[in-house]
Amino acid sequence: MSLNPDIAASSKITEEQLASYVIDSTREVFTTMVMMDPNDDFPLKEPIHRFQCSITGMVGFAGTYSGVISIHCPVKLAMKITSSMLGMECDEINEDLNDAIGEIANMLGGNVKQVLSKGGLDVKLSIPTVISGEDYTVNSLSDSDCVVIPFSVEDSRFLVGLTLKKED
Amino acid sequence: MANILIVDDSSTMRKIISRSLRQAGLTVDEIYEAGDGIEGLQALAAGNKIDLVLSDINMPNMDGLEFIKQVRANGNAVPIVMITTEGGEEILKEAMSSGASDSIKKPFTPDQLQEKLGGLI
Repeated sequence: MSLNPDIAASSKITEEQLASYVIDSTREVFTTMVMMDPNDDFPLKEPIHRFQCSITGMVGFAGTYSGVISIHCPVKLAMKITSSMLGMECDEINEDLNDAIGEIANMLGGNVKQVLSKGGLDVKLSIPTVISGEDYTVNSLSDSDCVVIPFSVEDSRFLVGLTLKKED
Repeated sequence: MANILIVDDSSTMRKIISRSLRQAGLTVDEIYEAGDGIEGLQALAAGNKIDLVLSDINMPNMDGLEFIKQVRANGNAVPIVMITTEGGEEILKEAMSSGASDSIKKPFTPDQLQEKLGGLI
């Protein structure tokens, strides 16, 4: 898995720099809003497309760049994240849990957009989408143009992925 | 004591902002909530005394930029601070030229809320 060289060249950032930015953004969001301090385990050794008992939050980009930033995490960890974010117990998949994971994706999307669009008007962010299930797969049509960062926190692991395509 | 309207499509974010306002030690009385710009306009039109509006930008139905324009078009001068993931200069410039008072980027800390909002309420 790697960032398309054209994308890296046109945005004047390398895959390593973008990965570093995703890592820093994720840690900032988690330490500031979730009150957790995850550690990154970059690079991801094997591509992961299949998720079990997990939840995925996604925000799309459109404009000069198109793509998706996503966070995938086990439901049990998502419950801990939601409980910590809201300061109240969350022990089931409900609106609070979906909303919390969607909002994390939204904040990550906003940070990445700042790297891709200095002014902010040439790249639009979508409203967050959240999916969850006992066994599902997530595939990108441009699988080779992405970075995926594994993180560990609370004795568990989650992934943050960024897929990008430069539009003509 | 100030009455504050929070306009954000994320119920989680509305709860976090409410909690952070109190953690920041701001003198808050009533907190009203709206899920998008349309609900925000309805809340302002409902007759409740609102001293400050905190609004997201990226929302369904009516986004934060259109919301500010509509509020100002209605002749309402209530201070509006954008709390948003949208940190781009041009978007924030458009928000300010539409009538926003200031902006706060998500993620934020209670101290940052205190710094930005302390002088407004």
